[in-house]
Amino acid sequence: MLPPSPLRVGIRGTNIVVLGVEKKSVAKLQDERTVRKICALDDHVCMAFAGLTADARVVINKARVECQSHKLTVEDPVTVEYITRFIATLKQKYTQSNGRRPFGISALIVGFDDDGIPRLYQTDPSGTYHAWKANAIGRSAKTVREFLEKNYTEDAIAHDNEAIKLAIRALLEVVQSGGKNIELAIIRRNQPLKMFSAKEIELQVNEIEKEKEEAEKKKSKKTT
Amino acid sequence: MAATFFGEVVRTPCRAGTEDEEEEEEGRRETPEDREVRRQLARKREVRLFRRQTKTMLEVSLLEKHPCSKFIIAIGNNAVAFLSSFVMNSGTWEEVGCAKLWNEWCRTTDTAHLSPTEAFCVFYHLKSNPSVFGSCPRRNMQVTILTCRHVTDYKTSESTSSLHTPFLKALKTQNFKEPPFCSLLEQPNIVHDLPAAVLSYCQVWRIPAILYLCYTDVMKLDLITVEAFKPVLSSRSLKCLVKNIPQSTEILKKLMTTNEIQSNIYT
Repeated sequence: MLPPSPLRVGIRGTNIVVLGVEKKSVAKLQDERTVRKICALDDHVCMAFAGLTADARVVINKARVECQSHKLTVEDPVTVEYITRFIATLKQKYTQSNGRRPFGISALIVGFDDDGIPRLYQTDPSGTYHAWKANAIGRSAKTVREFLEKNYTEDAIAHDNEAIKLAIRALLEVVQSGGKNIELAIIRRNQPLKMFSAKEIELQVNEIEKEKEEAEKKKSKKTT
Repeated sequence: MAATFFGEVVRTPCRAGTEDEEEEEEGRRETPEDREVRRQLARKREVRLFRRQTKTMLEVSLLEKHPCSKFIIAIGNNAVAFLSSFVMNSGTWEEVGCAKLWNEWCRTTDTAHLSPTEAFCVFYHLKSNPSVFGSCPRRNMQVTILTCRHVTDYKTSESTSSLHTPFLKALKTQNFKEPPFCSLLEQPNIVHDLPAAVLSYCQVWRIPAILYLCYTDVMKLDLITVEAFKPVLSSRSLKCLVKNIPQSTEILKKLMTTNEIQSNIYT
């Protein structure tokens, strides 16, 4: 019985895609940089995975090679859908071959296509893939998905900052210890992947908490 | 007999086959040697009661000197963490004794080599109110059992993807009159092992007892699973024992971080 993986959240905004992951605390003597959950597949595509680390490493390496091979062959970067389909096809092959076992990972793949449209896809070990506006995988994904269903509005995703806050708020529904256990990455149109530092995440978390307090004060004023 | 595509020869089930059944029965019959081995193993079973601090043996009659009105038993990592953080943190609890057992299903050869995580039970009583603990069943005693089970053991006609894990289910004895803090465990789900044994004992001896069973998708120590037990804090047994919930939550978080075993296999 596999333990459930930490939470991953993906949000597709109007001009931004956001990937947030729940970070488990790393052992003291372990180098944190080698425990990465968000990986770039190309300049414009990145992936967050949940499951067996070793399987993820193999899939990511194959996907990265495919991204470069595609660029060299057709002189265009891969579309997000293409690389998602490549990963999903790879996973499906391993469900139908003798002597192999399926890849034990689910992935959220985000990025921008050449036409400037943001994309978010989810794959699972069976090899199926689907496009999402916002999704969560891993532990308590159901709870977070319900939160996203209530709070994912056109206004919420219109501004980049609001989309980032939505991802962090979704993570905070489940992540108990606050900003220090969150990792966040964004891709803006025509810009490379940006990983948020711990300070930047802390700033966002503080802003969210202030907004929460103000909302609660307003509520209590209305009731009195 | 039948042959498969790959050239294997397999036995096919035979409707009339009495000969086959006789052969199988011979294989299943116990030899006298088997019986002797079983008897010797059964003789080795032991239950040891002792004080951990002094490592002295404890007589069962000494435990019976502690009468009690409330008996709370927590089985499993998450239930124990809940009790340690929310109940045992309020007030001073004194360790009265410890029980270790060994039977032929344990993986070590004797009790001396058992680790605390295997077949180990520590008894505590509240110093300020020693009636909270005891081994002797009294008529006005109330028993509360807390335990966890994996959600894959939960049988339901609903789709498992619609289940909000972790969730609590209750099972109580006939004499337990208080309303439980969650829905009762539906059929065909059953309770196993020690919680079932305790509940059955209480039902037979007409002791009011309730079992709170948390179905979770994480069997190792987990904050969300432990917090699923929180509704139980409003029960008559635990209400008077819990004093400072915010402090308890902080202690629980510290317990989580110290016990977090990092696995690099999963991300």
